[in-house]
Amino acid sequence: MHIMLNDTLLQLTAVSTLAQLLQQQQLNTEGLAIAVNNNVIAKRIWQEYQLQNLDQIQLFQIVTGG
Amino acid sequence: MLTIADKTFHSRLLLGSGKFASPQLMQQTIQASGSQLVTLAIKRLELNKPQDDLLTPLRALKIQLLPNTSGAKTAKEAIFAAELSRDALQTNWLKLEIHPDPRYLMPDPIETLAAAEQLVKLGFVVLPYCSADPVLCKRLEQVGCAAVMPLAAAIGSNQGLQTRAMLEIIIEQATVPVIIDAGLGAPSHATAAMELGAAAVLVNTAIAASSDPVAMASAFTQAISAGRIAYKAGLAATQPHALASSPLTDFLAAL
Repeated sequence: MHIMLNDTLLQLTAVSTLAQLLQQQQLNTEGLAIAVNNNVIAKRIWQEYQLQNLDQIQLFQIVTGG
Repeated sequence: MLTIADKTFHSRLLLGSGKFASPQLMQQTIQASGSQLVTLAIKRLELNKPQDDLLTPLRALKIQLLPNTSGAKTAKEAIFAAELSRDALQTNWLKLEIHPDPRYLMPDPIETLAAAEQLVKLGFVVLPYCSADPVLCKRLEQVGCAAVMPLAAAIGSNQGLQTRAMLEIIIEQATVPVIIDAGLGAPSHATAAMELGAAAVLVNTAIAASSDPVAMASAFTQAISAGRIAYKAGLAATQPHALASSPLTDFLAAL
């Protein structure tokens, strides 16, 4: 399966859920938010959210700002 | 006490977390200020850069985190940013800001009102950054905003209360807290805003970009307190001519 992760094309093997993708990418999930195909996917369902071929995944992070 | 929606705060200073030289300095400054409402932003993650642990020290301070929608140019983008921030921070509090023009960063009143109305319906506690427009502030209040945040001057400009006359009308008419946001460059500006009857002020650049942010935060806190006490005490009326404060007798005329 291929996905776009913040504009980078990735081929995924042994990854089927959003939570597995985050683990594979070694991302800190504190302050992280995710949209798949421009829809916000709530943290509580990352564990079971199944990725589809050609999904566009955007990761966002809380940063400082006024 | 400042009450916004269902929460009360001792501090009347909202602090922006941008432009600090380091996360440690930001944390020390928040502590020195006593602020209980601190704004944050959201942006796309840069995959190859290390993720700063910004939130652990902030959560330790037991403050209300207030994500903003900075970067949004339309209501649609702001609602998307709001939904991301709500999930990232697990809070429905939101500083709504939509400013499409980067030169002056003036808030777009039409997009802001449209976004505010939808976000309230989606269950957000909406604090909109807006123009110092009394009609717009009433409209924002009517669609359910928990406060209004009219600007004193352009963001980061440090020019003080450029919109003073309009702020007076906004404060007179408001039934939600009026938080003066943007452009306050000195503690004296914050005092002046509080003397007008503002419920609170939001400061970022004037503190974070000063030579000593910790000391400047303390100065702002004292200035806000002084202004609030003065407002509660009731300022004496201004007069076009002198009014003696000592008895004017003519006993010296005999000399």
